[in-house]
Amino acid sequence: MSDDLKNTQPEERAADLEHELDQRLLRALEAAPEVDIPADFAARVARNLPARRPEFVTATHYGEHAVFLGMLLTLAVLIVLTLHNGRHAGFGLAESLLLTQFLALTIWISVRRHGVS
Amino acid sequence: MDADLTFEQLVREHQSMVFRTLLRLTGSREHLDDLAQDVFLRLYRALPSFRGEALITTYLYRIAVNVAQDEWKRRRRDDRSHISLSDETSDWEERLAHPDRNAEQKIEEREFQQAVEEQLQLLSKIERTILILYHQEERTYEQISYALGMPIGTVRTHLHRGRKKLREAIQQRQTNERRPACQTT
Repeated sequence: MSDDLKNTQPEERAADLEHELDQRLLRALEAAPEVDIPADFAARVARNLPARRPEFVTATHYGEHAVFLGMLLTLAVLIVLTLHNGRHAGFGLAESLLLTQFLALTIWISVRRHGVS
Repeated sequence: MDADLTFEQLVREHQSMVFRTLLRLTGSREHLDDLAQDVFLRLYRALPSFRGEALITTYLYRIAVNVAQDEWKRRRRDDRSHISLSDETSDWEERLAHPDRNAEQKIEEREFQQAVEEQLQLLSKIERTILILYHQEERTYEQISYALGMPIGTVRTHLHRGRKKLREAIQQRQTNERRPACQTT
C-alpha cells in the first residue's frame, strides 16, 4: 500500500501540475490585451476616406435568391410530374433527374449557408 | 455624407476587435493607430467587391492578418527590436504598496501572462495568428480557414502544434527559473 502511494503520488502531482499549467496557459491566451483607442478614431478614419465611395456597403444575395427560385420551380415541376406519373415512360426518368437536381441544390445551399458565417 | 456616417458606425463597432488583434499579432503598441486605420481603409476600398460570402467581421480578420504581415515585413526590413506588450508605465507603485498574498498572486499571474506573450512572439507567424484568432478572438476553424485562406485541417494542425510549442517553451522557462533557485538553497 505504501509502495503504491510512493509510486502514484508523484505521478498524480505531475499530472496535476500539467493540468494547472494548461489551465493557466489557456487563461493567458484567452485574456485579450487592453487597448487604448482614441475617442475620435472612428471619426478620423471616416474623415480620411478616399473620395471614391463604394457602390454599396451591405452585401447582396442575388445568387442565393436565384437558387431558391430555381429550387421552387424544380419542386413545382416535380409535383406536376408526380401527378402525371405513369402516363408516359419519359416522365419517370425526368422525375428522377429533377429530384436529384433538387436534392443537390438543397445540400449545396445548406453547406454554403452554414459553411462561413 | 451618409455613406461616411455608416462607415464611421462600422468602424466604431469593430475598432476594439481590430486593435486587440493587431496588438497581439504585432506584439507592439507602436503605430497601432496607423495599422488599425490601414485595416479600415483597406476594408473601405474592398467593399465594392465584397460579395457577402462571409460576415464583415470575418473579412476584417482577413484584412487585419494581411496588415500584420505587411508590418512584420516592414520590421524585418528596418530590423527593429519589438517593444514588449507590457506597459512601461504600469502600476508598479500600486503593487509595491500592497505586498500581500493577493498582490503576490497578481504579480505572478502578470509575469506568467508576460511570459506567454513573449513566447507567443517567438512562434511562427502562422501559429501565432491561429492561436490568437482561436483563443483570444474565439473564431471557429471555418472562420480562421477563411481568414487565412487555408484548409481547416491545416488550421487544426497549426493550432495543435502552436499550443504544444508554447506549452513546452513555458515549461522550459519555468524549469530554468527554478534551477538557480534550487542551486542557491
